[in-house]
Amino acid sequence: MEVETSSSSTASLVDKAVVPGDIVLDLTSMSDQTIRLGAGLRQYSDVLSVVKAGKLKFKKPNKYWVESSQKRYAPSVEDTVLGIVVDARADNFLVDIKGPTLAFLPVLAFEGGTRRNIPKFEIGTLLYVRVVKANSCMNPELSCTDASGKAAEFGSLKEGYMFDTSTGLARMLLSSPTCPILEALGRKLSYEIAVGLNGRVWQKILVEKLMQRVQG
Amino acid sequence: MEQRLANTWHMTINEKKFIESALSKNIRVDGRSPVDYRQLTIKFGREDGSSEVQLGETHVIGLVSGQIVQPYRDRPNEGTLAIFTEFSPMADPAFEPGRPGEFAIELGRLIDRGLRESRAVDMESLCIVAGKSVWAIRVDLHILDNGGNLIDTANIAALAALLTYRKPECTLGGENGQDVVVHDPEVREPLPLIIHHMPVAVTFAFFNEGDAMVIDPTHKEEAIMGGRMTATLNSNGDVCAVQKAGGDGVSLSVITHCLRLAALKAVDITSKIKNAVDSYNTARALRKVKRHNALVAPDITVPDSVMKGNQIGQLAEHQAQKFKEESTKTFDTETVVGIPKETVLFNKKNINFIRKDSDSFIGGPSNWDPYSQSIPPTFVRSSQIFPGSSTVDHKKEARTMLIESNSEETKSNNASSGLSRTSSMSQQRTTPKSLKDAVKPKSERKNRPSPASAAN
Repeated sequence: MEVETSSSSTASLVDKAVVPGDIVLDLTSMSDQTIRLGAGLRQYSDVLSVVKAGKLKFKKPNKYWVESSQKRYAPSVEDTVLGIVVDARADNFLVDIKGPTLAFLPVLAFEGGTRRNIPKFEIGTLLYVRVVKANSCMNPELSCTDASGKAAEFGSLKEGYMFDTSTGLARMLLSSPTCPILEALGRKLSYEIAVGLNGRVWQKILVEKLMQRVQG
Repeated sequence: MEQRLANTWHMTINEKKFIESALSKNIRVDGRSPVDYRQLTIKFGREDGSSEVQLGETHVIGLVSGQIVQPYRDRPNEGTLAIFTEFSPMADPAFEPGRPGEFAIELGRLIDRGLRESRAVDMESLCIVAGKSVWAIRVDLHILDNGGNLIDTANIAALAALLTYRKPECTLGGENGQDVVVHDPEVREPLPLIIHHMPVAVTFAFFNEGDAMVIDPTHKEEAIMGGRMTATLNSNGDVCAVQKAGGDGVSLSVITHCLRLAALKAVDITSKIKNAVDSYNTARALRKVKRHNALVAPDITVPDSVMKGNQIGQLAEHQAQKFKEESTKTFDTETVVGIPKETVLFNKKNINFIRKDSDSFIGGPSNWDPYSQSIPPTFVRSSQIFPGSSTVDHKKEARTMLIESNSEETKSNNASSGLSRTSSMSQQRTTPKSLKDAVKPKSERKNRPSPASAAN
């Protein structure tokens, strides 16, 4: 979504809590500017207003969005999420990503994927995937490759344990610099962790490394 | 179909393997030992016969209601008992509204069998006119939240509701003496059901082809269990019902081990239910006390030990008599301990005395019972002035004050005649904060005559 405006009075609301109806930008005074709107914002004729309660975020040069934390996940493009395989069809897998509808993962959306080497995922397999298409009217589409076609750690996660959190907590775990919880855990244990922006976290403690540490 | 798939909860293979491998080492995901129950909370509603039970995250409401119907022809002098279950879709995305599913029917059948076959509820006492009118008791169990182990939770809810249900008293009247007259609860106190014993259901879940067993499975454990067995026992160790519907096979030694465990758990749960029901009954008795409209009593919550069978003076005649009999039994022990400063009476009549706005004492409660067990206000005041004084002094003071108060014109018409009773009434006083606030300090009371000054 691109709107031709300039940013002037929004500095006051950035990083503050906003509720639906708050006007973020008055566009009448702006022209010849491109503003990118993310989740939770909508343009109504010449104002930008909030449609979802949360915290207004801004990323240079021109991206605004509203961040909120809840149990349910609203799929949006380029999110990395953890999905559970629910069914396998001829040309895509049905994957549950805690959104309003199931998502489709095409059987060919893997690195070096051809009709001959389609992966066999059982029902209940946990996958780390990337959202490629997300509209409110269609089922979201996923992929197990990054934008350039490489595997990049996407795919099924084996062993370990998965638990549910809110989307806000998942975002906090993924924030940079590294979340202090993860660092503190890392000092005591060796583990692998995968955090999905849909509020799912998978973790595997590396027991062998832990035994080495204990003995060594 | 896709929409339903999107809304259901899915279990990952990772979780399944994790829980199974943990159980093979006797570790449970929520940190319990394999034979521990989750935390049990039993609450009651305002109406008689409504219970709300929480076992961990599982939440069930039980409601008991009664209706007068014609009995079955082959059992003309027995009432009927029916269990209905309602699996609300808000409890679990897998529950669909409408006709009960297979598990819903199994749950209802299990609880029904536990109560009926073991003859826990006395059916013959439900008969009013043999062959014509009997009570039909209906237990409705509403599942509000499925956190695992619905059977045990629903059973406890049914038991708690049945133990606190009161059916209206009926007598035979009318011209020919055959008509059933159902008395209003305000007119005649409704009667509790006769429950002989409490059949408690204990559910076991089996994993790893019968190698691992846990009690009270959670929702996730239920999703991956191989088999389930429910044993219904009472605190005497009698087995009322055993149910194992399909699933993994288990050896006989495992089953006997489970039954022994269930006997221990049944004792534990029975005592918890009894405590909850007792505190409900005492709170209920308190509520039944009639007050004079002019005076608004503070809402008093009273601990159990104090309230057993005492201080309920204002009920209808037969109730007052009943409680008097009980109290004479309990108060024969003259172990009056020193009353700490903050102890206050519970008797509603006397609260009329000690309230801030009770200057006028226009009248006591509407049913004045000259033989009720009340302590005159003078005694109350003295008890406040002398913290921790010896028992003997209290009795003496009580007697002197009673004599004095008997001679004075108490506007509150609550002169007490039971001396020994009143002195022993002073035992077991603990104060809810609200009562202490309701008590006026001595300096502010205006209309009180001053026998207390003598006590000073």
